[in-house]
Amino acid sequence: MIMNFNTAAELAIVCWAIGSLLSLLANRTPALKLPAFLLSIAGALVMAGFIAFYWSALDRPPLRTLGETRLWYAALIPLVGFLVEYRWKIGGLKYYCMALATFLLSINMLHPEVFDKTLMPALQSPWFIPHVVVYLVGYVLLAASSVTALHNVYLQLRKQENSTGESVSHFLALLGFVFLSFGLIFGALWAKEAWGHYWTWDPKETWAFLSWLAYLGYLHAFRYKIDKSKLQWYLALAFVVLLVCWFGVNYLPSAQNSVHTYTQS
Amino acid sequence: MVVVRRRWFQAPWEFRESALFTAVSVIAGFIIQVAASGRGIAMPHLPFNAIALSVLAVLVLSTGLAFKNTHAVKWFGGIPLGLCLILAIALLSLIGGIIPQQPVAKESLPVLLGLNQIFSSWPFAVTVLLFLANLGISLSWKLIPFKPQNLQFILFHAGFWIALSCAVVGSSDLQRFVVPINVGKANNLGYTMESETPQHLPLSIYLHDFSLEEYPPQLLLYDPHNDKLMMNKAQAILEVRTGTTASWQGIEVLVLDYLPYALPGKDGVPQSADRKTGIPFAKVRIITPSTQREAWISTGSPMLKPDAAQLDGFYLIMMPGTPKSFRSAVTIQDEQGHETNANLEVNHPVSFMGWKLYQMGYDEKAGRWSKLSLIEVIHDPWLPAVYLGFFMIMAGNILFFWNGIKRREVVK
Repeated sequence: MIMNFNTAAELAIVCWAIGSLLSLLANRTPALKLPAFLLSIAGALVMAGFIAFYWSALDRPPLRTLGETRLWYAALIPLVGFLVEYRWKIGGLKYYCMALATFLLSINMLHPEVFDKTLMPALQSPWFIPHVVVYLVGYVLLAASSVTALHNVYLQLRKQENSTGESVSHFLALLGFVFLSFGLIFGALWAKEAWGHYWTWDPKETWAFLSWLAYLGYLHAFRYKIDKSKLQWYLALAFVVLLVCWFGVNYLPSAQNSVHTYTQS
Repeated sequence: MVVVRRRWFQAPWEFRESALFTAVSVIAGFIIQVAASGRGIAMPHLPFNAIALSVLAVLVLSTGLAFKNTHAVKWFGGIPLGLCLILAIALLSLIGGIIPQQPVAKESLPVLLGLNQIFSSWPFAVTVLLFLANLGISLSWKLIPFKPQNLQFILFHAGFWIALSCAVVGSSDLQRFVVPINVGKANNLGYTMESETPQHLPLSIYLHDFSLEEYPPQLLLYDPHNDKLMMNKAQAILEVRTGTTASWQGIEVLVLDYLPYALPGKDGVPQSADRKTGIPFAKVRIITPSTQREAWISTGSPMLKPDAAQLDGFYLIMMPGTPKSFRSAVTIQDEQGHETNANLEVNHPVSFMGWKLYQMGYDEKAGRWSKLSLIEVIHDPWLPAVYLGFFMIMAGNILFFWNGIKRREVVK
């Protein structure tokens, strides 16, 4: 089982590496464009295939542990990179995305997880998949938004004109915010069924609320007359709150009694 | 362009004034908190909280509409103040997200400031109240006159207003009780988290049966010298089934036979038994470089000692699986004679005369043999209002998403 993960992860990383290389070379040799794209997307498809295979082997959705969520990010983040290239003709983001996915897979290869099929009763709910998947998509969009914003900041410092880039980071943040809102409310509706109340200020809830507020603040600042290029700093840094929410909460003093701490194996 | 720096409090007010106002409000909240010697805010119950909330709603909306064109109200319902209040709520939540939120007996400055119960503290209440006013005023401008293109704004902001205000104001009417019941008994006494004296509930629950299903047991290798469990080569939790194989450094194990419910027989060979009394037994073949043998191992139960297989200073043990599901068969009755039979299970609560009943827990030491079931009984009259808010937010979000992908705005 675990052997298969390493093979799949290595295959995906090799696809991304060669795909990126070809894509860089395609600037001079346009004929390489198609193979570069196919290879890069094949890497994400390998991960998607592995998730499907893992899901059926586990008899439960692989969404329970931190390592399992990293698998999903590794499959989804590159796809956002390709979407941004397709929609806004910005090619740079996909390299960051593939590098990020490679990084996430490397963590899983260095810390193999225990293959465990069990799912505690509270997680056996029709809300489990929508809640986590909506959050995954939201995080992926906001990660891409943050990386784009960081790139925009870099271009600003080099005094380069870049209004498309700022528009991309804004739209990714907007879409990401919509998914965060759904994730938050789905979580509340699920909590009512499983734990009796929709909101208990559990540390993970508090941090999810905080990250939601961070992007709520961004959207209002954007609507108001605030310098759009300064907001790129904000977007780049807002993702840090999401990272605390994703795994940082486990290390905070408040997390002792959380129902949300991922299984550490 | 000539940039003229605005002086403090020169109309129209903006971020500086908003930040100052927010900071003063939060500090005032902390002062009230200390003056109330660390006691948080006490919210009135129904119907008074509903009346107060309606008055607030009418007051905010009418102020927003009547004084639409005055500088002060424009500022009070504007984005700069809204952003500052969002920041203040975020900072207070940050405190709640770092400091463990639980009652502390010891007197200290953080406790006096309410930092350990920030979400029921005065500064939080003051900020939320101002935020509701800010949100409500901005909402009034989009509500009247109504325009279809404002629908997304109205759904999202009104939904948030309703959900937030009803959740905060309605928290005083939320009743949560834990009712412990033994099999074959009825109970109408509930315990709250705060006190040890039980309260009489308007309903009573009779527990017919409690049953718990476990995942298959796990095979583990225990090292008694270092008191630790050895990880097998496959890095997997080994579920015991006929045919399960496992390998550790130099040790191979094969499960030859597995009986999920059995009892020890006379000749040492376990015999299948019924679900109520039987425990899992497995016949394993153990192969080490020097020997090969077969043995029966079991998980044990509160009544039976577990059987382990000893090998080269290690023990091959079988651990009971983790709970897969547990349920209580109950009859619920209220004082007016209404009665219903139900199966309570985690994630499958049951509604009864305005109450919701949840399978909460059981006697974890007894595990599958628990004769005790913990049922949580909850009454939340404000829930429909909060859900209305949630669904409005989601509807607004769908429109937001739709407009977001449809229209490509260029950043100016």
